[in-house]
Formats: sequence, structure tokens, C-alpha cells
Amino acid sequence: MTSGQRKAHKYIWLLLLIIVPVIMLFSIKDLDLFSSGTNTASQLSGSKKMSLKTSENDIIKVAVFESHVEIILKTTLKNSSSVVYEMDKKGNKSNVIGQLTTAGIYNFNINNLPKGIIIYDAIKQVEITKFSL
Amino acid sequence: MGLDYQLVLWNKHKKTYDKIIVASMLLYIILFATITLIFNSETSIETLVIRAFGSLAIIMLHVILIIGPLARLNTNVLPILYNRRHLGVSMFIAALIHGGFSMFQFHALGDVNPIYSLFTSNMEYGSLTNFPFQVLGFFALLILFFMASTSHDFFLGNLSAKVWKRLHMMVYFAYALIIAHVFLGAFQQETSLFTIGILVIGFITVASLHLITAFKERKIDRTKTIKKEGWLVVCNISEIEEDRAKIFTVENERVAIFKYDGKLSAIHNVCKHQGGPLGEGKIIDGCITCPWHGYQYLPSNGQSPAPFTEKVSTYELKLEGETVYINPKAFKEGTEVKPCKF
Repeated sequence: MTSGQRKAHKYIWLLLLIIVPVIMLFSIKDLDLFSSGTNTASQLSGSKKMSLKTSENDIIKVAVFESHVEIILKTTLKNSSSVVYEMDKKGNKSNVIGQLTTAGIYNFNINNLPKGIIIYDAIKQVEITKFSL
Repeated sequence: MGLDYQLVLWNKHKKTYDKIIVASMLLYIILFATITLIFNSETSIETLVIRAFGSLAIIMLHVILIIGPLARLNTNVLPILYNRRHLGVSMFIAALIHGGFSMFQFHALGDVNPIYSLFTSNMEYGSLTNFPFQVLGFFALLILFFMASTSHDFFLGNLSAKVWKRLHMMVYFAYALIIAHVFLGAFQQETSLFTIGILVIGFITVASLHLITAFKERKIDRTKTIKKEGWLVVCNISEIEEDRAKIFTVENERVAIFKYDGKLSAIHNVCKHQGGPLGEGKIIDGCITCPWHGYQYLPSNGQSPAPFTEKVSTYELKLEGETVYINPKAFKEGTEVKPCKF
């Protein structure tokens, strides 16, 4: 390398040594690195308002309000796709309510009170969980 | 250095290295798939491909980035440096498979253009942890594409060594984009101290090696020279290994002083091909051979052997006792200088 290229290399790496750790630090500072990886959202309390119906299993906790449904996903699912469906009278999926990704609290608008909730993997076409409300 | 451009100048060593590269890549993919299916059988094939090739590309990029500084710190690494371009193109292929499958899985199944979808499906450009990380990966892949597609000497010859080198130094920018892509993407969705730790250690290793080498090189550039009647004292002849060189700085230019067959010759240290350090190469078949891609020069006149036309500056040397001296005035490129015998 010429002397100019050597200098350029040195300054580029000095710059990266500053910028990259800053990106790393800011991107992981809010992550929970030391949890067991299960029930990461189990301590989330959700809405304090009075719900019309609630139901819970190992994966999710659902609270239905007048115009929206609150879903607390307790742990990130391993499925690539997790679509939330309303359950109809026959126990089959009807309207799509929304989609889940990582563990946390989700709020979806609804028009009618659902009979139940079905979480469905639309890629593998398998039911992840289902329960009536 | 070729008169006619060929797709690849194959030789026995290149074929062996390429086989090792392909076998290692296949082994990694098979291992990754096996472990994933054992511990997470719910994983879809698309997700498996995306993760396997994405992680493979990152590992390969780290290996590629440490080859250069390692070769300057340890000459045993030089044969790997010779084959670095093939490793780079292989890494791009792995990154392309990762990017292609991601594009298909997340953006090609809707009713909008996948590229448009990539830039607009997540508009939280003002957020850090919700930043549309796929855009970062897209730009990194674009840089790697330009690098891989211009890696052949045809482009080096037509773009000029300076432009080509600048283009290929963009790999450092691509590396920063890829780190950000992984930290703002995969690590936000699947938090693992192990994988984060691996990437942090990888970055520290790559950055440290580059900076250690950079400061070592600066030390060489700043070496104080002793003048004696217009000549500069280089070193004791015993400090130069047979068929190897001592790199010496003369008026801000580096010179490689080679010892071979009872003779000493000095030429400018920068290869005309890609600016490779000729002084870190060795004499093969009577020619100074660049450690980067094997370009060759005759020690006595700095010219590539016929029919090739590259040539570098030469310098005059003299020996007093066991001390090697150099005349700091460079001769015109390709000038014949009588080797200093001992």
C-alpha cells in the first residue's frame, strides 16, 4: 500500500472503533440479556381498565375491551409467523385481528366481541394456540 | 498481469483453497441446519436458510478482514492472502442467498415491489431499536455486489488501481452496516448473550488486528535513518532472510531490499497491480513475487518478466563489511541496477 492508503486504513479503523461500539451499546442497552428466555412478558401487567372478558394460558393472556383486544404474549414464539384470528361460532378462524412478533403487549382494534382467539402459523399452516373467551 | 483476461487463473493451490472454501461452507450449513432442527424443529426452511447463510457470511467476512493484518504480522498467512478474492466472492454468494431469501420471505409475497416494500414496510427511521435494519443489510449487500463483480483484474485494469482500491476499501463501510444490521435486527428479536458476545469479540479482534498493524507500519515509516556520505544505513545483512526482503523507508517511500543467491537488490515496495507490499513477498523462480496476487518483478531492474509490462523504481545498494547502505535517490521505473554481491 502507498503511504496515503496506509493512513486511510488507520483512520477508517480508528473511526470504526468509535462508531461500531456506540451502535452496539445503544442497540443492546434496553435488551434483557440475562433472563432465562421464557415468560419474558409474564410480569407485564397490561391495561388497568376493566375488561369485558379475560382468558389466559401458558403462551398468552387475552383481555377483551369494548373496542379493542389486548394480548400479552408471554414469550417469543419460535414460529416464523403468528397471526391472530377471531374465532367463529364453530371454533374456526374468521377475521384476522393482527400479528404477533416478539414477547410483549399488543392492542388490536375489533368491531365485534370475538368468541375466542386463535394464533395461527400462516407459513406452516398450523395452529399455535386456541381458546374460547 | 495477463495479456488476455481469463475468467480465473487456476493453479493447483487455488484449486485446493477453493475446495477447502466450498467444503467448509457446506460443513457449516449442514451443522447449522442439524443443530437448528434438533433444538427448534418449528423453524421453517426459509428461516433456516436465511439464518444459516446470514451467519455464514458474517463469519466469512470476519475471516476475510483479519487475513490482511495477520499476513503482515505473520508471513505464514500469506498463502491465504493470495486466495482472499475467492473467499470474498464466496462470502458475497452466501450474503446474496441470505438477502435473496429474506427479500422473498418478507417482501416478495405482497402486491408491491419488493424493493419498495423493503424501504417502506417499516418507516421508523428515527428510532434506533426499531430501525428498519433490513435497509442496512441491503446497502451492505450492494457494496459487496460491486466488490465481487469488480474483483477480476479486467476491472482493476480498466478502473485503475487507485479507483479500484477505493471501491474495495468500501468493505469497511459494509462491515459497519452489517454489524448494525445484526444488532438492530436479529439481536432485537432473539436476544442471546452468546451470539452478541461472539460478534463483539469478532469486532474487537478485527479492529485490534488492523490497528496493531497500522501502528506497526507507522513505526516503520518513522524509523530514523543514519546518513553517511549521501547513503542511508539500512541494516546488517544478517537481518535479511534468504529470498526475503527488509522493508526500509526512504524519503516517505518504502523500499524492499531483497537478499537472494548471494546478491542484494532494492525496488520500490508497492506492487503495480493492487498496491501490494512487495517486500512482504519472496523470491520465486528468480522473481520478486507479490504476496497478494503473485505479480512478479525481476530484482535487478524492477520489470515484470516478458511478455508482461509492469515496472517499479529501483535503488542502488552498497555493502560495507556487513552493513547494507542504500542510495535514497530512486532510479526511473524499470532501470537496470547491478545487484550488490556478498
